Amino acid sequence: MLGIGRVGRTASTLAVGLLLAVAACGGESGAGGGPVRVSVWAWYPEFKGVVDAFNASHTDVQVDWTNVGTGPDQYAKLKTAFTAGTGAPDVAMVEFQEIPTFVILDALVDMGEFGAGDDRDLYAEWAWSQATDGDKVYAIPVDGGPMALMYRRDLFERHQIPVPTTWAGYAEAAARIKAVDPTAFVASFGSDGGWINGLMWQAGCRPYGYSAATARDQVKINLTSRECRKVFEFHGDLVDRGLMAKDPFFTADATAALDSGKYWTWAAAGWTPGYVAGSLKNTAGKWAVAPMPQWTEGADDQGDWGGSTFAVTKQARNKKAATTVARELFGSSEAAWDVGLNKAFLYPLVKEVAADPAFTGKAYEFFAGQKVNEIFVPVSGKLGEFQYTPFQDFVFSELNDRSAEAMSGSRPWRTVLEETQKNVVAYARQQGFTVTE
Amino acid sequence: MTSAPPTAAPDADRSPPRRRVDRGPRRSSRRTTAHPVAGMLFVLPFFLVVVAFLVVPLGFALYLSLFTKSLVLGSRFSGLDGYVKAFTDPLLLDGFLRVLLFGAVQIPVMLGIALAGALALDAVTTRFAVLYRLIAFMPYAVPAVVGALMWGFLYSRTFGPFTGLTTALGLGEVDFFGGPLLLLSLGNVVTWAWTGYNTIVLYSALQGVPREVYEAAVVDGASPVQVALRVKVPAIGRAISLAAVFTVIGTLQFFTEPQVMARFAPTISAGYTPNLYAYNQAFAYSNFNYSATISFTLGFVVFVVAYVFVFVSRRRGAGS
Repeated sequence: MLGIGRVGRTASTLAVGLLLAVAACGGESGAGGGPVRVSVWAWYPEFKGVVDAFNASHTDVQVDWTNVGTGPDQYAKLKTAFTAGTGAPDVAMVEFQEIPTFVILDALVDMGEFGAGDDRDLYAEWAWSQATDGDKVYAIPVDGGPMALMYRRDLFERHQIPVPTTWAGYAEAAARIKAVDPTAFVASFGSDGGWINGLMWQAGCRPYGYSAATARDQVKINLTSRECRKVFEFHGDLVDRGLMAKDPFFTADATAALDSGKYWTWAAAGWTPGYVAGSLKNTAGKWAVAPMPQWTEGADDQGDWGGSTFAVTKQARNKKAATTVARELFGSSEAAWDVGLNKAFLYPLVKEVAADPAFTGKAYEFFAGQKVNEIFVPVSGKLGEFQYTPFQDFVFSELNDRSAEAMSGSRPWRTVLEETQKNVVAYARQQGFTVTE
Repeated sequence: MTSAPPTAAPDADRSPPRRRVDRGPRRSSRRTTAHPVAGMLFVLPFFLVVVAFLVVPLGFALYLSLFTKSLVLGSRFSGLDGYVKAFTDPLLLDGFLRVLLFGAVQIPVMLGIALAGALALDAVTTRFAVLYRLIAFMPYAVPAVVGALMWGFLYSRTFGPFTGLTTALGLGEVDFFGGPLLLLSLGNVVTWAWTGYNTIVLYSALQGVPREVYEAAVVDGASPVQVALRVKVPAIGRAISLAAVFTVIGTLQFFTEPQVMARFAPTISAGYTPNLYAYNQAFAYSNFNYSATISFTLGFVVFVVAYVFVFVSRRRGAGS
């Protein structure tokens, strides 16, 4: 019995100690003097420089940064934390397509209540519309991925293949590439939800419609429109004819193929110049960027692949300070954008930064001195509105799984969207949504 | 046969003698109740750990599985509806079929190699035996994620050594991540990782068999192969079926390799294995309730399959 008593006393001492420690932690972020500390989750390594810049320029608010994993890994942790009701950071990096998902989980703070609506004119219109819902500001845009076509200028010139300006021309180029080099492909069908989404966006396909502010339980899903179908039928045809490879993007195989002349083009995004300059060494200087091939000759339709924002979570202890962090981590901060543009190679959604001659006039050695941002910047201006569903992970997963079936030959390409539509509508209804198709 | 201790508990006297011998000598029940507090204190740490990390989470998952959560309507009690849905969910059933097909091929191959390896190790008496054991065991020491990534690169069409081999054989580049080869590729990774472990388990069992039995067989004129197949293998029958049960359970819970390899192999869908499906339901689609239901369904299937397996192998053991 003596033993138990001693153990019990030690335990209660420990418990008191823990309580004190917890209280001390809480006090740090309270009003008890000192700066408010705001926790942030973001996943690129260069983010440290952005945090340092913020902390150096603010005395009342200080950022504590954690990298808990990239994209889906971080979202898994966020979703767990929101379900558990505890454990989420004050501010989290969230990609555009995830915003409605977190909104319906009631996980994000409307920063409009803290004046974030004033930032409206700072950002590209398409990005602001994806980050907001009516007057509600759920996220502050940071970077995007306006799309353009990367191609091997040297190979196209050597074999006198015209750089395609239309998708029909792209298919012709694909056939000629195969004729010149049977081991080469025009590109790869990368099994990437964001990439195919960008191509759909460019084709004028608007498959989703959702506004929690208007009707929380209503969602539009129309993946089978002509504009959406033509994207899958076109690329599926190239894959079936052996003109397009099947390697998933960002694998060692795909990177090696880009760097060895196996792929001649890549429908890439505004953040690609930084990515390729870091990973493709053999073919540096041989690439160039051209505007995206168009579905209609002479048109100027554009798409976006990727992009991220900062959102304040409902679990934030000091929502006002957290909003300040989300708005000012990048915002108009020159020091932050210096890191963002020159180290993390982000495509800036702050209009002023994107329009700055220092950005548009930047010559890229990787592209033999081409000022590629002169192509990307106008694209961002033409993107227009594109919405997502509040269950976009399910939709992308369906699209990828059905496309994979088509690639392996067990499903005709023309049924990919039909089947996805059917499954997504069934899922949405089962989740309690009223679906309009 | 006469080892029943004089202090045997009264109920032991009533049980049939065969059972008593099977279970070995029993301790006095009076002795174990002599210091209840001390006994409980000894059990307490383990008990607390079991309650905190097994009973409570399982109970909570069971509780979750009885509710249905939808994005719009929130959470509501639905009793066993979730289970009805799980057992009729084509994606989940597909996943079960896939892991069963996978196991039907992979388990016999792996245990066959492990058994052969164990018999070989048992026969080797040189000082290299330790080295062989170490090498056999090494893949098991590599974390599963690292192993799967490593094999992802080995299978690569660009860097992998197998591409060189198939190209030299005139087969061209082979896609190890697609079509019918994908399950074989995954099976190979699992076999690579676990064969050594099972070899060591079976080898240890062989070490426990008295050497006199082998000597007797040799004296009776048995060849080394006959000794291995007719004496050694039956002698470690229990160890083999134990290894098989653990492997069956592990196969039904197949997760890490497909999860890691999905980045190379687009064909690995969200519901490729039941465990992967449960993971995606929870952490991609925020559907923790259905994920819990799938997990319990999986647990139930694992229990049934393992039980049937043990039952059948016992019957077979008794029959031979």
